[in-house]
Amino acid sequence: MFRKVLIANRGEIAVRVARTLHEMGIGVVAVYSDADRASLHVRMADEAERLGPAPSSESYLRIDRILDAARRHGAEAIHPGYGFLSENAEFAAACEHAGLTFIGPSAESIRALGSKTGARKSAIQAGIPVVPGTAGAVTLEEARAFGQAHGYPVLLKAVAGGGGKGMRRVEREADLESALRDASSEAERAFRSPEIYLEKWIEQPRHIEIQVLGDRHGNMVHLGERECSIQRRHQKVIEESPSPLVAQHPEMRQVMGEAAIRAARAAGYFNAGTVELLVDSDRRFYFLEVNTRLQVEHPITELVTGLDLVRWQVEIAAGARLTLRQEDVAWRGSAIECRIYAEDPYNNFLPYPGTITRLVRPLGPGIRIDGCIYEGWTVPMEYDPLLAKLVVWAGSRDEAMARMIRALGEYDVSGIRTNVGFFRQIFEDGEFRSGRLHTGFIDEFFARQRPAEPSADLAVVAALAAALHSAAPEATPAANAASPWLAAGRQELLR
Amino acid sequence: MKLNLTVNGAERQIEILAPAPACRFRLGDGAERAADVALPAPGVYSILLDGRSYDVHVERAPGHWIVVLEGHRFEIEVRDPRRWSRPSAGRAGETIETVAAPMPGRVVRVLVAAGDSVEAGQGVIVVEAMKMQNEMKASRSGRVLTLTAREGATVAAGEVLATIG
Repeated sequence: MFRKVLIANRGEIAVRVARTLHEMGIGVVAVYSDADRASLHVRMADEAERLGPAPSSESYLRIDRILDAARRHGAEAIHPGYGFLSENAEFAAACEHAGLTFIGPSAESIRALGSKTGARKSAIQAGIPVVPGTAGAVTLEEARAFGQAHGYPVLLKAVAGGGGKGMRRVEREADLESALRDASSEAERAFRSPEIYLEKWIEQPRHIEIQVLGDRHGNMVHLGERECSIQRRHQKVIEESPSPLVAQHPEMRQVMGEAAIRAARAAGYFNAGTVELLVDSDRRFYFLEVNTRLQVEHPITELVTGLDLVRWQVEIAAGARLTLRQEDVAWRGSAIECRIYAEDPYNNFLPYPGTITRLVRPLGPGIRIDGCIYEGWTVPMEYDPLLAKLVVWAGSRDEAMARMIRALGEYDVSGIRTNVGFFRQIFEDGEFRSGRLHTGFIDEFFARQRPAEPSADLAVVAALAAALHSAAPEATPAANAASPWLAAGRQELLR
Repeated sequence: MKLNLTVNGAERQIEILAPAPACRFRLGDGAERAADVALPAPGVYSILLDGRSYDVHVERAPGHWIVVLEGHRFEIEVRDPRRWSRPSAGRAGETIETVAAPMPGRVVRVLVAAGDSVEAGQGVIVVEAMKMQNEMKASRSGRVLTLTAREGATVAAGEVLATIG
């Protein structure tokens, strides 16, 4: 087993990985940019090395500096987390060249699956249904021809894509040219590749994915599904396992699980990976892509299976055999995750970085938080707005939802805006509670929200708090403080 | 102390008759009510009203307060009628439009210069935070009167970056 591992990441995932490494008695080397010197992942590490200035192109994406740091600190392996270099085949290859173990699949597998069109091709070869789409990157003429053949809407996607970047839904041919241009330039910025391909739009699909785990000796199991249909800007915000749909149709787990293993095997895959599927309203599933890394939402699988995926990743990377057989994998209860973002759900989910002035975390039965924040920390504006993942486990989905509502009520992150209050509304929504989920859920949720009609007493209490607070001296804008009688009156109110 | 409130768009009046902790108040022409008010942390109010316990969070937003309790969110504007009642900047803004940062972030592009003519819908300033760019557009045609945004500068949410008149 490794004695020391470098984590080439930041934020909550660097903290998450460090926790397991600590438990395994493996030394942790953190890397950081200038914006992250005081970040939790650095404070929790045994050793740390500066990479460079805040922009990720000068720090977390610098392969040379990360390899230097690993050498200097004597790390034997590198855990890439998710995002940044985690799905970069060059990075995986560079690690191996430098005599370091990349904790993930081989560079060849990453390359084969990293191109969305390449991954589709291998899925077709493995006999797994794919959403009708173009074989590869398209020109405007080819895009038009596809639209005419398959009908609108169509979905534009970046060949090198991920995270919703370069993705556009196009309603009609007239919009195709400008959408293609926008998507292409967004893809160029995000992935340095302007290539776009087309898929037919599936109406109200569910996004369900299968976790797979395989070793270097050809053994592979699936760990069941996660439903990730609740998304904003094509990014997941709530995930759960089991999927409410699969809970109603349990045979789907085995069918999708076996298809996922075939897709992964076709690419010679080992370590932890995720096969993403779209499921239509007739419960037909289509291969979407393979994420060749640990997923953000892996904790819900850990909670229902009782496994530590990071520990398995490390052991598999060190050459261990997967001692887990498919029949050993058992699922228990229901787990739900909310991604707590620094953003304002009531202002188009725009990011909201800043200093956390107060932090009270939910505690009690069935709660897990994977986070990187602490009171007094300033959330940098350079990176992803993910602050923490609030994960609950309970015996059933109903109990898990009740627990999540309870936990969200206890969660107090002040000084910045977050989506905590918004999540609570979702968990109280009848459609969500009945499990009728699809990827357009949040847009529809906003559309059917009537202006909230809270009880009269709640409005009274809110008005009272606002009146008292606006009169509080620290809340008074400087301009108003000029009036001494007003200031005196305000102080009196709060005495 | 009487205050005029706009609570989620509805006009209300509240009179504070006694301060915290043993607060007494009256809403509009209603009866006098008593509430026990404690402040466990800045911006957090623990209010006991008619035997019920409420934990209330208040935070500042440009031009109003955001009040959150029991999963409900209120946007509340508070005006003191004793203050000289000039129309607030927002109301007077029929002739002058302010372009304010929609989120905390960094100015990555300034697309106009002071004195430029702009069309309604034209992009004026681009602010970026957390890998998301947001282009602020002029909501009316006119001339850029002031421009305080500089490329690379860090801005707060609601900070006025330009005015158009």
